[in-house]
Amino acid sequence: MSLAVRARSLALPLLALVLVAIVLVVQVANGGGRYAPSAVADPCTAPAPTRTPATLDALGQQLVLLGLDGAACRLGVSREALTLQLAQDHEDPSDAQVDALKAGMLDAIDRVKAAGALPPAADLVDQALDSADLNALVKLAIRALPDTVINRALPTDEVLRQAVENLDVRALLGDLDDSSQLGNLVTKAVTKAVEQTLVAQVRGLV
Amino acid sequence: MRRFRVPLLALTVGLVLADSAVVTLALPAILQRLHGTVPQIAWVLISFNLVLALCAVPAARLCDRFDPRICCAAGIALFAAASAACALAGSMELLIAARSVQALGGAFALVGSLELLVSVEGETRGVGWWIAAGVVGTAAGPVVGGLLTEAISWQAIFVVQVPVAILAVPAALSIRPVRTPTPQRHPPALAPNLALALLSAALTAALFLLVLLLVEGWRHSPAAAALTVSVIPLAAAAARPLVRRLGATPRMEAVAGSLLIAGGLVALALPPSAHLAWTIAPQALIGLGLGMTVDRLTAAALRDRLPRAVHGGWTIAARHFGVVAGLLVLTPVFTASLEAAQGPAQEAVTALVLDAPLQAGDKVAIAHALSDRLADQHDQVPDLRPAFRSLDIAPEDRPAADDLERALDDQVRRAATRAFRDSFLIAGALALLALIPLSVRRRSR
Repeated sequence: MSLAVRARSLALPLLALVLVAIVLVVQVANGGGRYAPSAVADPCTAPAPTRTPATLDALGQQLVLLGLDGAACRLGVSREALTLQLAQDHEDPSDAQVDALKAGMLDAIDRVKAAGALPPAADLVDQALDSADLNALVKLAIRALPDTVINRALPTDEVLRQAVENLDVRALLGDLDDSSQLGNLVTKAVTKAVEQTLVAQVRGLV
Repeated sequence: MRRFRVPLLALTVGLVLADSAVVTLALPAILQRLHGTVPQIAWVLISFNLVLALCAVPAARLCDRFDPRICCAAGIALFAAASAACALAGSMELLIAARSVQALGGAFALVGSLELLVSVEGETRGVGWWIAAGVVGTAAGPVVGGLLTEAISWQAIFVVQVPVAILAVPAALSIRPVRTPTPQRHPPALAPNLALALLSAALTAALFLLVLLLVEGWRHSPAAAALTVSVIPLAAAAARPLVRRLGATPRMEAVAGSLLIAGGLVALALPPSAHLAWTIAPQALIGLGLGMTVDRLTAAALRDRLPRAVHGGWTIAARHFGVVAGLLVLTPVFTASLEAAQGPAQEAVTALVLDAPLQAGDKVAIAHALSDRLADQHDQVPDLRPAFRSLDIAPEDRPAADDLERALDDQVRRAATRAFRDSFLIAGALALLALIPLSVRRRSR
């Protein structure tokens, strides 16, 4: 076979290779091969929040989410894997999971405070009082206090720390099926923390 | 009748070979209508290809020994009756049985048609008609099946075959076969048949899995999927006129075709997104490759070999054993990949739900609805959209919920694409393996 005939016979396979290369280069240059489910973030390096939550519900949610990060970091799993375990397990959460979540939420308060994203206590007190089981006169008296007094008397981080201590994490995890119960537990814990901190402050004055 | 007998026989050949993949886009509708299981639905495909592969050579031997007119006409009549039975099947078991009978009749119809087409048109043109009809039927099967399912119903796929086949019976009987004494009985051509089997196994990914990816993974309608996969038959039809200008040898055409099929399958494994446009160029490569390989290899397997019908039978057997092998190899890989993709997909979905700007109660409600949906659609690519329809979300939170729904859909599509990737890559490797028999030079007998 002459060189010219041989070259001519190889032209078609070479053309095929060029066509394939063009298609593959265009696909890969536009993200081909990377179109897969998003990778989950490392819970130990989760970014701190930058926005101050406007409502008690939003604050509670932020602390639980950051708490999940901290708990997942402690347990050596991703936040999403821990969430799925807690949501899917038919058994009660383990002591390690409960302790890790509580510790994670306490860490979260420090992180939110360090980021300057904690709301002033006066904002929380007003919302907490709406659902607090207090005498109407006491509620009225507290609401009459200027915000500056409340903010000085009730450091937000202390109220929240107390709320986390009050929070029945096992019950919270057990009630994940009931979305309304979830909010109630968090609100109750914050309300009780407000009451306790206020009582402690009053006792300090006396 | 004389004018139409060649087109009718060619159409029958195309119909029988289209039946290999014609039901792919109808499988979800069949599964729903006949209350079948996923393994049963796989057998709707496998049974036809397996019976066709097993019966093609024995049918050809019978056609060679007896009158090919009778063999062909009886095969077409059986194929028509079984097609009607497929349309009327009320259970998966009956459908699988009818598909098997359809393949049995199809085997006789195919090998008998080869002899009859050669009797009418002569060796070169007759074999050319037979091969071209087979290539067009194979490539167009999913498109035609998808459009009929979307426009009418899955039963229509089988119903439309009946009148064509009925018309083909008298056409077959009207041809007087030219019987040439065949003192020589050549062995089957190993290299082209092996290459055909490997390429058919590889093409399974393009003709079956791509359709599944488009409909089940990316949630496009069967009509959109059918129109999209029409690129393959169009490119296959364009291959011959394009290649003729280059004047390559048949072997080099088959080599180039195998490279195009392998490259197209690898490109299907690496789409940048779930947009249909990203499948066009890979499908064009596959279609061009199909048009350059299947006819050349079939012609090589038939050239100068007698009895012709028997060697035609060997090419049918090789191709459909290849399809069965492709289904048996690629389906478990795909199923395992789908299972492996569930973990990362669930975590990605969980991350989106946790970080969504929604109230905690809404997130829990969404998580529950999604969880129920995932449990209902175990071992399938889940459709999460219905989970959002049942939610009671405040109007001000609806935009955030809609954004979340779109983001979740995107994650599911990403997971499905990832799940199909290994199957496409393995299919690409099978197409490259076909280069090995193609590199074997044919020795003179």
